[in-house]
Amino acid sequence: MKIGTPKEIYEGEARVAMTPDSARQLQKLGYDCLVETGAGAKAGFSDATYEEAGVTVVGSAAELWAEANIIAKVRQPSTEELGYLSADKTLISFFNPAGNEEGMAAAKDKGANVIAMEMVPRISRAQKMDALSSMANIAGYRAVIEAGNNFGRFFTGQVTAAGKVPPAKVLVVGAGVAGLAAIGTSTSLGAITLAFDVRPEVAEQVESMGAEFVYLDFEEEQQDGAATGGYASVQSEEFRNAQLAKFRELAPEVDIVITTALIPNREAPELWTKDMVEAMKPGSVIVDLAAEKGGNCKLTVADEKIVTDNGVTIIGYTDFPSRMATQASNLYSTNIRHMMTDLTPEKDGQIVHNMEDDVIRGATVTHQGEITFPPPPPKVAAIAAQKPKEPVKELTPEERRAQEVAAFKAQTKQQVTLLSIGALLVLAVGLIAPASFMQHFIVFVLAVFIGFQVIWGVAHSLHTPLMAVTNAISSIIILGALIQIGSSSFLIALLAALGIFMAAINIFGGFLVTRRMLAMFQKS
Amino acid sequence: MDFGFTIAAYAVAGVLFILSLGGLSGQESAKRAVWYGIVGMAIAVLATLIGPGAGLWWLSIILIALGGIVGHQLATRVQMTQMPELVAIMHSLVGLAAVFVGFNADLMINNISGIYEANGLVLGAVEDGGYKAIGLPKEINDGLSAFGQLIAKKTGVEIGILRVELVLGIWIGAVTFTGSVIAYGKLAGKVNSTAQKLPGGHILNAGAAIASLVLAIMYLSGAGSWTLVLLTILALFIGYHLIMGIGGADMPVVVSMLNSYSGWAAAAIGFSLGNDLLIVVGALVGSSGAILSYIMCKAMNRSFISVILGGFGGPAGEQMAVEGEQVAIDADGVATALNEADSVILIPGYGMAVAQAQGAVSELVSKLRAKGKNVRFAIHPVAGRLPGHMNVLLAEAKVPYDIVMEMDEINDDFPETDVAIVIGSNDIVNPAAQDDPNSPIAGMPVLECWKAKQVFVSKRGQGAGYSGIENPLFFKDNTRMFYGDAKDSINKLLPLID
Repeated sequence: MKIGTPKEIYEGEARVAMTPDSARQLQKLGYDCLVETGAGAKAGFSDATYEEAGVTVVGSAAELWAEANIIAKVRQPSTEELGYLSADKTLISFFNPAGNEEGMAAAKDKGANVIAMEMVPRISRAQKMDALSSMANIAGYRAVIEAGNNFGRFFTGQVTAAGKVPPAKVLVVGAGVAGLAAIGTSTSLGAITLAFDVRPEVAEQVESMGAEFVYLDFEEEQQDGAATGGYASVQSEEFRNAQLAKFRELAPEVDIVITTALIPNREAPELWTKDMVEAMKPGSVIVDLAAEKGGNCKLTVADEKIVTDNGVTIIGYTDFPSRMATQASNLYSTNIRHMMTDLTPEKDGQIVHNMEDDVIRGATVTHQGEITFPPPPPKVAAIAAQKPKEPVKELTPEERRAQEVAAFKAQTKQQVTLLSIGALLVLAVGLIAPASFMQHFIVFVLAVFIGFQVIWGVAHSLHTPLMAVTNAISSIIILGALIQIGSSSFLIALLAALGIFMAAINIFGGFLVTRRMLAMFQKS
Repeated sequence: MDFGFTIAAYAVAGVLFILSLGGLSGQESAKRAVWYGIVGMAIAVLATLIGPGAGLWWLSIILIALGGIVGHQLATRVQMTQMPELVAIMHSLVGLAAVFVGFNADLMINNISGIYEANGLVLGAVEDGGYKAIGLPKEINDGLSAFGQLIAKKTGVEIGILRVELVLGIWIGAVTFTGSVIAYGKLAGKVNSTAQKLPGGHILNAGAAIASLVLAIMYLSGAGSWTLVLLTILALFIGYHLIMGIGGADMPVVVSMLNSYSGWAAAAIGFSLGNDLLIVVGALVGSSGAILSYIMCKAMNRSFISVILGGFGGPAGEQMAVEGEQVAIDADGVATALNEADSVILIPGYGMAVAQAQGAVSELVSKLRAKGKNVRFAIHPVAGRLPGHMNVLLAEAKVPYDIVMEMDEINDDFPETDVAIVIGSNDIVNPAAQDDPNSPIAGMPVLECWKAKQVFVSKRGQGAGYSGIENPLFFKDNTRMFYGDAKDSINKLLPLID
């Protein structure tokens, strides 16, 4: 089958859905690759490099759409492009199915299969095709670079001969993929980076990127992000107020604000209000990555850079990935290539549109003349839900006191029981044993007692030396042999002599080896 | 010198022994404590030599000197990794010595009783109206050795008790002897270290124990010394069979248990000889071993009984299947992670001892510490084959003891740790102990190394560990397997740490 990529017709779009590299990989899957002339020009790929990679360059869009069985592109197709579709064709691109019912209807009428790249489910297996994430990553990076471009100071603090420069303070709102990329870029440029997200569980990710997580003084059962496929959800009014109060407090301090807060299929929430913008220092920069959906700051104008009266620059570009067209094309074409790999299980250049597959099913919006959007929830949950932590109950002083008393009582009870049993046993022995035995017995009982008291204090790390020492001193049995060796009976003397010999080995060996071990323990 | 002086010397020695054990509460005081023990022992031996009853003192001194030479050779030649074997074999000597001394006491009783009969008297008979034994005529009495005189003075009841004690002493001593020899064999790899049972298992042991009891009763009612010999043979069998049935991973418990036994044997012999110092020391050693066994059992969440009776109980149900795959990593990957990490925890196990890797590990640690990283060791109480085994190995390799932590001290720190390196340990880092109620080690406290950001496991191959239990740690997402001999692996890392 043939896979083709037309030139993007959307105004200002520089990306391309197939690069020479990805074409080589697609050919290994058994596909023939086509590309419209000049499709990769803005992303830095000339027709010649495509041809070198074995791609057929065709002269016009109409020709390409007619010839290719599979069309891979970047932007949502225009009405004109949809017109090229037919029953045997598969289109892979961003499609915005939630806001593009006409498009879906048109594709359905044509009978074409459409795979919408933004619908790839967020499960581990599908990460390699997650174009939203790869594009968001670029947007986050580029947002910091654009901010730096419009910010009059260094990011990093410096002490130079020409004076001291304070570090820039960057606030990133929303720690999704774009937010995390922005955090990473900003910290590696040396700025002090703060980050906020409504999902407290991402605090760890934020901190791992080197930023400081902004916590709210707010207590409410937060909805676990896992329940919504890793995306943020709508917040309560109280939460929103606490959040805005925190931002208001931060506004005068921060130099750069990068907002990335988006909720799927909704208008972007307003997070950076007009009064916050007014509270910011002149020269500060706001980059609103949510500009396309109305912006997290209401002053944002989509696709434009404006400067407010108090000198704050607000950047509302919506084409950050396109501004890094080469990089973005590389990543996007790789996403497409992975999608094709999944669609071509036999690697024979034939598409198998397996609607049982979670990923393919999820991304398909029209299939064989039917609209298959929205997809059923995937069988595999994206992220394991967090186990709610058992709250540790704070004890009141009375309760604690009561517990202590109870513990003390239990301990006393246990001790008294043990002591009484012990005493009874000793008394029982005393009833039958003669006094001469009891004289030794008392020594024995006390020695056992002392042993128990002393040994509990021995450090764990010294257990081996303890064994060696007890081993050495248990050879005290030598005394018995020493007393017996004087006997006139030869057998007794012989056994005693052997006993002395063995015990002596033990005494010397035990003590020496203990000393050897202990000499090795050193403090640093 | 008279008897009073010997007893006084014993009192001094007893105090010194107690101080010697008490001093082991800290590394510094321990160095002093050994000297207390040595001096105590010297005093005790000297006092006995010059005290009443000791004859042939020149022979005794020669024997002690010979024993000293052998002991010195053993102690200086032994590798620190062979400590468990040495301790085990030394226990066997104590056990055997106790058996000999016990037999001697029996022989002496027979001797004296023979002398009594020859003089027309009965050993242990009591004077009319009193409780003092009727002694031998003075001239015969003076001809006896001091030990003989001691027995000759005893009444019938006292002789009965003496016999109980010497039976106990011999029995425990014999069990200790064969048990320790088998433990030595298992630790040294000379005997197959998996748990093995003769057909009959527990019944065989129980039968032997009951038979010993019967023989003991027969002996006490005067059946003669042959019962004692049979009883000893049975005890030797029990010691052998008991320890054969215990797997190598349980050796820390076994060795401390044998330690305890050797103490109790000494105490029992002390009773029969009427020697207080033997009783005191025997009791100290006995309780020390008992406490160590208790600590080890607790660390494995097993009851003492189940360890002694051999091996693991059968799992209650199907064990959790382990999903995922083991992902290997090479030295470069580990080195990169270590170079980037701020905090590192190493978890050594028996595998480190086997590979003699402690020197390489120590070098790695000092390199990492020189870079200002927080490097520590986490020691599980039953790591290795002897209580405190890992501590001694690390100390030998000059790892400072203040970075070597116990499980309870360090277990909460894993979530803040960048890299955890598991070197040759398996069961003590097995998450199944917490997650899988059907696992044979369920409930055993383990080092929660999987909570660290990254875990590297240095291991020879993919097989399950010593106990044969699959370890889900190896399949976790943040775990990478660093295959190879521990020593070679660590040595490969060294030049890569910059």
